[in-house]
Amino acid sequence: MSPKWRRYLRFWRPDVRADVDDELAFHMQERVDDLVATGLDRNVAQQEAMRLFGDMPRVKDECIEEALKLETEMRRLETLDVLKQDAIYALRLMRAHPTFTSAIMLTLALGIGATTAVFSIVNAVLLRPLPYRDADRVVLIAETFRGGRGSASGGHVTDWTNQSRTVERTSIWQLRTINLTEGEPERLRAARVTPSFFEVLYVRPALGRYFLPEENADSRVTVLSHPLWVARFNADSAIIGRQVRLGGEPHTVVGVAPANFTMTEFDERLWTPFAITTEQARNYGAHMFTVFGKLKPGANIEQAQADLATITEGIRQRAPDEMNERGVQVVSYGSLLVDGWDTQLWVLLGAVTFVLLIGCVNVISLLLARATARRKEIAIRGALGGARARLVRQLLTESLLLATAGGLAGIIVAKVGIRFFVGMGPAGVPRLDEAGLNWQVLGFAIAATLLCGVVFGLVPAFRATRVDLQSELRDGGRGSRGVIRDRVRGTLIVAELAVALVLLVSAGLLLRSAYLLQRVEPGFDPRNVTMMRVALPALRYDSAEAVQAGFARILEQVRGVPGVEVAAAGTRVPMWGASIDIGVRVDGRPFNPKDLLIGHVRLVTDQYFETIRIPITKGRSLKASDLAAGAPSVIVVNETFARRTFGDENPIGKRISGWTRDTLPEWREIVGVSGDVRAFGRENESPPEIYMPMTQAPSNAWASYNRSMTFIAKSRPGISVTAPMRAALRNVDPELPAYDVQTMDNVLSQSTATRRFNTLLLTCLGLTGLLLAAIGIYGVIAFFVSQRTQEIGVRMALGASAGSVVGLVVRHAAALAGIGILVGGVAAYWATSALASMLFSIDARDPLAFVVGALALLGVALGAAWIPARRAARVPPIRALTDL
Amino acid sequence: MKNELLHGTLEVMILKTLSWGRLHGYGIGRWIMDQGGDALRIEEGSLYPALYRLERKGLIDAEWGISEKNRKAKYYRLTPKGRRVLTAHVVTWTDFATAVGRVLSSADAPSPA
Repeated sequence: MSPKWRRYLRFWRPDVRADVDDELAFHMQERVDDLVATGLDRNVAQQEAMRLFGDMPRVKDECIEEALKLETEMRRLETLDVLKQDAIYALRLMRAHPTFTSAIMLTLALGIGATTAVFSIVNAVLLRPLPYRDADRVVLIAETFRGGRGSASGGHVTDWTNQSRTVERTSIWQLRTINLTEGEPERLRAARVTPSFFEVLYVRPALGRYFLPEENADSRVTVLSHPLWVARFNADSAIIGRQVRLGGEPHTVVGVAPANFTMTEFDERLWTPFAITTEQARNYGAHMFTVFGKLKPGANIEQAQADLATITEGIRQRAPDEMNERGVQVVSYGSLLVDGWDTQLWVLLGAVTFVLLIGCVNVISLLLARATARRKEIAIRGALGGARARLVRQLLTESLLLATAGGLAGIIVAKVGIRFFVGMGPAGVPRLDEAGLNWQVLGFAIAATLLCGVVFGLVPAFRATRVDLQSELRDGGRGSRGVIRDRVRGTLIVAELAVALVLLVSAGLLLRSAYLLQRVEPGFDPRNVTMMRVALPALRYDSAEAVQAGFARILEQVRGVPGVEVAAAGTRVPMWGASIDIGVRVDGRPFNPKDLLIGHVRLVTDQYFETIRIPITKGRSLKASDLAAGAPSVIVVNETFARRTFGDENPIGKRISGWTRDTLPEWREIVGVSGDVRAFGRENESPPEIYMPMTQAPSNAWASYNRSMTFIAKSRPGISVTAPMRAALRNVDPELPAYDVQTMDNVLSQSTATRRFNTLLLTCLGLTGLLLAAIGIYGVIAFFVSQRTQEIGVRMALGASAGSVVGLVVRHAAALAGIGILVGGVAAYWATSALASMLFSIDARDPLAFVVGALALLGVALGAAWIPARRAARVPPIRALTDL
Repeated sequence: MKNELLHGTLEVMILKTLSWGRLHGYGIGRWIMDQGGDALRIEEGSLYPALYRLERKGLIDAEWGISEKNRKAKYYRLTPKGRRVLTAHVVTWTDFATAVGRVLSSADAPSPA
C-alpha cells in the first residue's frame, strides 16, 4: 500500500503508517488462521475476517491520526528535556565560577546596554517615520542664493503653486516672535502660516481644529502648541473658544496641536493664520517666506526639483534682476530635520558597536580559555558516546544563557543610558526626548544578545569539540595543541586591537578639533557680561522714533543698575540673535547690482564695543553724539568687511550705501574699523559686519528686526545683575517680557555644547575600547605564559635571565600589537572619513591623531603584557620539574 | 444502545486484559470476546483506535515482537499509570453497576411524595 522505501525510514525513526499497516495485517492473518482452523475455506475465511473487522479504511485513518499526534508530542517532550538538562548544567557551571560569569555578564551588559541606548536614539531621531500624514511626501522648497538655501518671495511661491505638476499643495511658514500678555508677559516664538500648513504637515489636533481655508490675520484666531498649552494654560481643555492676548490683540484659540507636532529647532509655540497679499504674490525680490510642500503621490524629489527648476527658470526670464545667482532647491523635510545630526548619530552608533565588538572578543577569548580547560570533560563525554552535535548544543546553551543574562542586565543599562542621553544631549536634536525602550529597541537588544550568544557559543564550541579523544585522554587534558588554539586567540586579539585603534584615532581627531576650537579667539570678552532680549509690540511702539525712544529709556535704566559698569544694546550680539545681510555699494565706484558686496547689519547703541570689548583697530568707536537727532550718518565696519571691500586702502572716511528706501544711495561714512568677531560661533569664519547707530536705522529696519534688541551689561566681577536688569525693564514697561536673560559666558559655551558632548562621548568610548583591549591582551598573554610555564622553567633552570624571559613574553605581545596597529591603522584611515564633517580645522587623516593613537595602544598593550611577563620571570625552575 | 455502552467501557476492558501481561491487539480482542461472549460482540476494527488512544494517554506501552507463530506483532503492556487508572475504574465501575443493578431489580414502588 505504501511505497516500499518508506519502510527503510524506520531504521532511523518510526514510520507510523507502515506500523499501522503491519499491525492490522497481523490481525487479519491471525483471524484468517483461526477461521480456517474452524473448518472454513481460506477464501471464505478472508471475507469473513474482513466482515468481522468492520470499516478498515476508517480504522486505519483513526489509528494513524492518533499515532502521529503521539509522535509529535514525544518529539517535543524530548527536545524540552534535552534543553532542560543543558540549561541546568549550564546554570550549575555559571554558579560554580562566579567571577568568570560576572566578568562576562558585566562586559555584555555594558556593551549591549550602551549599544541599545544609542540605537534607541538613532531609532527615535533618524529611523522612525515623521508623525505627519504622508510624511515621506513633505518637502521644503527653498530659493537658493549662491548655492545656499534661503527664503522665497511671494511671487515664487505663487508661481510654484500654480504651475507645478509635481507638488500637490504648498504652504507658507514665517517665523516671528510675539508677546503673550496673559498674566506674566512672555515673548514667544510663533509662526504665521497659510491655513494649508496644517494640511501639508497633518497630525490629528490634540484639541479643536486647525485653520479654515478662508481664515487670515484678520480672523484673530490661533492654534497653540502642546507645550504652551500645558505650561501656560494647565492643559485645560476648556481653552478652545477662549480669547488670549497676542501682541496686544485678543485672539480666539481654535485648536491645540499634538505634543509631537513641532520638530524644528525654532520650536514655535503658537500659530496664527495669514494670506499673502496680491502685491506680495507678484513680488520676486522680497525673500521672506519658508515654503513647505507636499508632493503628488508618485512624484519624487528629483522630479519635483526638475519641475520647479523649470518654473524658476521662467521667473528668471521675466525678472532677471531679481534672480541674480538665485535658484530653487527641493529637500525632503525628514532629511532636513536631521541634517547634521545624522552623521553624528551614525558615528556614535558605529563607535559604540565597536566597543561592543571589543567586549565580545574578550568574552570569546575567555570562553575559549575555559573550553581549553574543559577539554578533558568534553573528551570524556565524547568517549562516552556524546554526539558532537549534542556537545555543541550544550556549549551553545551555556553561551546563550550567559548572553541572555548579560542582555537582561544590558536592558537596564540601556534604560539608564537613554535617560543620560536625553538629559545631557545637545539642544535641538529633533525627537530626542521621544527615545525610549519601545519594541523596536527591545528587538534590537534581543537580536544583539542572541547574536552574541550564538557567536560566543559556536566559535569555542567547534574548536573545543574538534578534539582528538585518544590523545586528549592520554595526556590528561594538559593539551599539546595550545599553540594552534593560541593562534585563534591571537587573531581575535589583533582584531580587537585594530578596532580599538579606530576608536582611539576617532576620539583623538575630535579631541584635537575641540582643542583647536577652544584656542580660537572669539574676538570679544564674554566675562561679566549679561545679556537680555526685549521686543516691543507694534501696537504701542508703532514708529521708528517710538521704538528708538523705548530702547533708549530701557538702556538708561539698565545703565542705572547698581554694579553695572557699562551697558549697551544691539540687534545682535555675537553668537546670538538675528542678523540681516544687505548688498552694499561704495561711493565713487560704478554701481553694479549684479556684483554687490555683502555686509551683515547690526543696529547698536554707543558703548557697544566697550561693553563686550571688541577692539577698535582703526578710527573711532560709536559715541553717544552719533545717536543724537540730526547727527551725520556714520558706521563702523569690521576688518573682514574693510579688507573685502577696500583691500589695503584705508577705509576711514569712505562712504557706503545699502538697504535704501529706493534706488538712490543713502551714504554713510565709515568712522571706525572694529576687530573681527566669530559672530556665528567659533567654528565659523567671521562674516563681514556693519554696525549702525540705532537712531540711523534704514527704513523698515525695525520691522525686519521684529522691534527687538539685545541689551548687554558688563558688571563688576562676582555680581549677578540678571534680576535687577529684569526690574529695570519692568520700570519702563511692565507688560514687556525679558527673554534669553543669561551670561555671555554661557552663550559662548552653549555655542560649542554639541561638539563638547560628541567629543566627550567618543573619548569615553575610545578609552573604554582601550581598557577592554588592554584586558584582552592581558588575558592572551597570561594564557600564553600559563601554557609555557614548563618551558620557561626549563629555560630558567638552564640559566636564562629574568630579563630574557620578560623579553620573550613582551616580544610576543609586541608582535600581536604591531599587527593589530597595522590593520587598525588601515581601517581607521578608511573609517575616519565619516568624521570629516565633525572636525574643525584638521583633516580626517590628521597624522598626529594616528600616531598618538597607535603609540597609546602600543603602550597599553605592552603594559598589559608586562604583568604576566613579570610573573613568568618569577617562575621557580623547580616548577619545570614538578609540572612534568 | 449496546455499541454506545461498549464504546466507553472498551478502553477499561483493554486495560483489564493487559493487566495479565503483554498481549497483541488480536489477542486482546479475542480475550474480551471470550470473556464477554455475544453480549460484548463488537466490530474487531474498533479495538485499534482505542489502543492508539490509550497509548497516547500514556496508559499503555507498545513494542514490536515476534508472535507464537513467528510473525512480527505489536505487543501492548500496561504502564504504571495505566494500572492506577484501571484500579480506579474498576472500583467506580463496580459501584456503578451494583447501584444500577439494585435499582433495576428493586421490588419497592416509589413512595408518593
